[in-house]
Amino acid sequence: MHSTEWSDEAFCRIIQEFPVLNREVNGKRLVYLDNAASTLKSRTVISKMTDFYLNHYSNIHRAVHTLASEATTEYETAREKVARFINAQSEEVVFTSGTTMGINALVNSLVRSGMLREGDTVLISQVEHHANLVPWIRLSRFFGFKVEYIEADNTGTITTDSILTAKSRVNNPKVVSITGQSNVTGQVMPIEFIRETFKDAILIIDGAQLIPHKKIDVKALNSDFLVFSGHKMIAPTGIGALYGKRALLERLEPFLYGGEMIDKVTFEDVTFNVLPYKFEAGTQDIGGAVALGYTIDYLESLGFENIQRCIEELSKYLLEELSKLDFVEIYGPRDETHQSLVSFNLDGVHPHDVSQVLDEDFGIATRSGHHCAQPLMSVLAKGSRIDFPNSTVRASVYFYNTKEDIDILIEGLKYVKRWFG
Amino acid sequence: MIYSEFIMDYSKLKKFHGKIENAHRIEEGKNLSCGDEVTLYFLFDGDKISDVKFEGHGCAISQASTNAMIEQLIGKTKEEAFEILKNVENMMFGRDFDDQLLGPVTNFYDVKNYPMRVKCFLLPWKTLELALNGEGKKPLKE
Repeated sequence: MHSTEWSDEAFCRIIQEFPVLNREVNGKRLVYLDNAASTLKSRTVISKMTDFYLNHYSNIHRAVHTLASEATTEYETAREKVARFINAQSEEVVFTSGTTMGINALVNSLVRSGMLREGDTVLISQVEHHANLVPWIRLSRFFGFKVEYIEADNTGTITTDSILTAKSRVNNPKVVSITGQSNVTGQVMPIEFIRETFKDAILIIDGAQLIPHKKIDVKALNSDFLVFSGHKMIAPTGIGALYGKRALLERLEPFLYGGEMIDKVTFEDVTFNVLPYKFEAGTQDIGGAVALGYTIDYLESLGFENIQRCIEELSKYLLEELSKLDFVEIYGPRDETHQSLVSFNLDGVHPHDVSQVLDEDFGIATRSGHHCAQPLMSVLAKGSRIDFPNSTVRASVYFYNTKEDIDILIEGLKYVKRWFG
Repeated sequence: MIYSEFIMDYSKLKKFHGKIENAHRIEEGKNLSCGDEVTLYFLFDGDKISDVKFEGHGCAISQASTNAMIEQLIGKTKEEAFEILKNVENMMFGRDFDDQLLGPVTNFYDVKNYPMRVKCFLLPWKTLELALNGEGKKPLKE
């Protein structure tokens, strides 16, 4: 059964949007539960992008011909859609290749602008994806800032207590960079509380997991920066966005230098283009950006609040059904803050073997591994009651999934347990 | 089906588990994409591999592969081990190989049809390669 948010007719249309859902994998209907890694692609978005490439494409901004004008209009319209989607202004939205690029650019730019200096502290959490962890660790070596952590409890959960403990331990962090939702524990982070607790810090939100299913209003959150990827919300790979408050972006030194980002160039010096162009050096992923705009159109045509409620319903069902299996150990919080994905292990069976059998015998796509969060694995190991394999299985849903998909997963897990004993 | 009876049986073998206290060579292998780790302990008698044990954790494929590898290595010379290793790689990458030389290791033949699992199978073999090439942490004592 599909989520109650969709009528039968609406769901039928959704299914037709994603042709791969009609595909058989190993003789079974595909059950795609690897959405946290990347979502499926939609017929509407891909065909509109194809039409753009085939009939309207050229490079943007510089030339005066008709195609340049059409392509530029589409590109800038996409920016407006992204801006409206997160409640920002267009000039506060910079296209990037994704979340990883966004964070790397930010760390470098903050340092180059003197907004993050030697001796300053950056506070992140123990549940961060490597994208919001490795850039800080590495660049702290070069630039002498410190990296401190909001600690997770042994279920991998960030609590208000752990946030307050971090506040008492870390004196006025210059930057707080935090995921909106963990890609391992599924926890939606208490961003409002973090904002309130660290009033003076530059707040960066890694929106990669959260933005596909939960409205992020950068103004309401008073977030200084937000980075996210398009491919986890049905847009193509290679495109994402970075939001920054206008006043901050104006002070920020660009990360990439080159064409289009300049105002005036002499042999001695350079002045920069206006926002947001000073952050978009070189030829951009024009087709990707345009497709991200089409993606937002499509998601809004379904009603974004419907998508949000659909994910809430499926997440609750997934967590409940997994909890009924006594041989399954679940990580992350056990309440409604646990959304869209669940990481777990089967006692005595390695995650790779679980995922392999689910795929081979049930056509189910899940993810197994450390999910680009290696240090978090050691935290989960401490709370684990089984022989923790340093990795987990992860099942993640999106709005085209059904309760039946989850039932098939549960059936599959029972089979795996029997198979491996 | 990747999980043949052979692979299931070998994944559960315990006899090669453990540490060799006075090992001549210790080599650690890691599978970066999944976090699986194996440590191989080698004991040599002249040019012969007289004993091998391993510690670590991993999936059924990597565990079975490690057990089958060790079984095949014990009693062989380093030169023979190199030859086996070369043939194992040939088998995985669809080239001709000597199945006499590989013995029971040919039970992993079908793993080559699962590109995502080839690295699980190769983990102990890649670790063996490091050990034989002498790039490990502990110098080879002859």
